[in-house]
Amino acid sequence: MSRTRRDPRNEREAKSVASNTRRRFDLGLVASTSRRPRRDPRAEFASAEVEGRSRRRFDRTQTTAAIARPIAEAPHRRQEEVKPATRIVETPAFLVFAVLEAPKNRLSRFDRQVLGAARMLADAKDGGGAVVALAPAGLEEVGAAGADRILPFADDLALDDASRAAQLRAAMESLEPRHVLFAEDGRSADLARRLAASTGESFLADVVYLTAKQAARRKIGMTAEEFGAPPRLVSIGEDRVAAYAGAPCEARPIEDETHASPAAGSAIVSVETIPGDPASLSLSETDFVVSAGNGVSDFEAFKALAAELSGTPGASRVVCDAGLMPRGAQVGASGTVLAADCYLALGIAGAPQHLQGVAACEHVIAVNTDLHAAMVERAGLAIIQDAQRVMPALRELLEERRNAS
Amino acid sequence: MKTTVLLSAARHPVSGREALARLEAQAIALATRLGGDIRGLHAGPESDALREALGVGLSKIDRIDAPNGSDPMEDLASHLRAAGPDLILAGRRGQGGLDSGLLPYRLAERLGLTLVADAIAIEAGSEAGTVRIDQALKKGDRRRVTVRLPVIVTVHPLAPPPAAFAYGAARRGMISTHPVNDPIRQEGQGSEWEERPYRNRPKLMRTASASSGDAAEKLFVDPDPKEAARLILDYLERNGIRQF
Ligand SMILES: Cc1cc2nc3c(=O)[nH]c(=O)nc-3n(C[C@H](O)[C@H](O)[C@H](O)COP(=O)(O)OP(=O)(O)OC[C@H]3O[C@@H](n4cnc5c(N)ncnc54)[C@H](O)[C@@H]3O)c2cc1C
Repeated sequence: MSRTRRDPRNEREAKSVASNTRRRFDLGLVASTSRRPRRDPRAEFASAEVEGRSRRRFDRTQTTAAIARPIAEAPHRRQEEVKPATRIVETPAFLVFAVLEAPKNRLSRFDRQVLGAARMLADAKDGGGAVVALAPAGLEEVGAAGADRILPFADDLALDDASRAAQLRAAMESLEPRHVLFAEDGRSADLARRLAASTGESFLADVVYLTAKQAARRKIGMTAEEFGAPPRLVSIGEDRVAAYAGAPCEARPIEDETHASPAAGSAIVSVETIPGDPASLSLSETDFVVSAGNGVSDFEAFKALAAELSGTPGASRVVCDAGLMPRGAQVGASGTVLAADCYLALGIAGAPQHLQGVAACEHVIAVNTDLHAAMVERAGLAIIQDAQRVMPALRELLEERRNAS
Repeated sequence: MKTTVLLSAARHPVSGREALARLEAQAIALATRLGGDIRGLHAGPESDALREALGVGLSKIDRIDAPNGSDPMEDLASHLRAAGPDLILAGRRGQGGLDSGLLPYRLAERLGLTLVADAIAIEAGSEAGTVRIDQALKKGDRRRVTVRLPVIVTVHPLAPPPAAFAYGAARRGMISTHPVNDPIRQEGQGSEWEERPYRNRPKLMRTASASSGDAAEKLFVDPDPKEAARLILDYLERNGIRQF
């Protein structure tokens, strides 16, 4: 028998606490014989709390790490974070092109995903690759989004698509990237196909799954998928690859000396761009919806506000049922499911049927008198205020800003 | 003007049966509006989809009797070169097949034609021998290009809806069959990709907090309406939705 014999009297004595009335013992003080540290569930829970949020949020993936960490340190975690140093790839082993659209000279979510995919392919296995963003010059956020180099490649609407493809092809021939990534959307998708047809490179369109080893896309009406190692040309489906979230990269501007000769003998006579008018756009096509619910009573002011914000007017079902807005404006499960970037909800409670319609919206702004409305929980910016008072204030402020500029 | 509408071996997205792709039906509607001599062109075995195409506005279809599953590119190219249409219309993506949308581009490359993608309207241009095409861009923007014929145009889903199906027209229409030019070449058309059953892969979730920074600054209880208005406009500008 190797276990030492316990002496209960002595153990009890060791736990006695000095006191002048009667004898007291602190039984929580265990002179433990086991080497395993005692867990403190409360402290673990507290240290898993994510700070800087209005509501308490707990990051449960961290619990095991929290045990090892001295608990007093937890509240200072955020402040100690230093700004990560810039990643620099001096002599890349190979290049990965990411063709970005950057509407209005900002990176869209989809652009970031394309950069994230390019970063993943560049860092795969032995790594050492560099991501070249093909984007309009002077775009600032590309470094943080994961680009090591930036090659000016304007998304000029007046430029015809064939000469853009020729320009990209010239860049591909001189810099020889290992992969060229596109967004499966609009002009990028068109460009990818032009390049695939003219170079004869292998091309995988609308990829739904991408790792460094494998790319897969679906075919035959979602019953089969084709897959293989990522080919030279890949176009990525939206929301399929996560954006890059690591240390910022350098985004050093580079030049491509070879200038593509403009596509000879183009049959295109003239090109004219017509900007979309949000007021007449359908809800499924627009990027910004201003929507009214049962909390709005002045619909003249609402329609004027939507026009001044240059958003497409929408409404909840209650409003459409009451005939205050046309049925075509209804947002939700039995109306239109939006693909917009931003949704401004005035006096909408956020019923599940309504929230289904805004599930794809990245930014939601809610104005509601009820702090506990579901729409307020969904919103990225929630304002607890009477919509009837916010609407005229918004119009006034818009007027002011328009006069100022 | 001679117009050819390319008809694919499409399948219905739900039932999986042979059916006319909606984009091709829309292409037929665009061609009908423009007028002139309109023909359909299909490479592959007899299919119900061709009758359907006759029912929504075509009256003549040329079918190249190519075996099932072969690459239709060469057959289409040689037929089109001989027929010499001014305008070639195709859907921007297939439906229920490979669906890569690459065929019109390969055809344009092979025939040396200009390709205009994502059309939603086609009109005759002011000069003879030109057409004016409206392209759908993102977020409701449009681009109007005037282009000299001949040209290949792919059709966008926002084009006007197709005509209703008419049974009589579907029965009356003519399908003429042409033999394959070069039957030996058709063999051994292997894909470079492997194939496996489809697995549904969920998309990434879209959350605002990932990109719009500090989520703590998101709830404002009872601000002054002026302050509320400022907050809303600042939020819109910061996230690049609108600039005021
Ligand atoms: C089968 C089915 C399908 C449906 N499909 C849809 C659909 O597609 N789309 C849809 O929208 N609905 C749909 N609904 C209806 C849905 O369930 C809700 O009834 C509806 O969305 C509620 O609309 P609301 O939020 O505008 O109104 P309410 O629920 O009345 O909410 C009004 C909100 O405004 C706030 N408010 C009140 N006064 C003010 C003020 N002065 N200032 C600011 N805020 C104020 C209130 O606090 C409240 O949160 C469907 C229902 C069913 C059963």
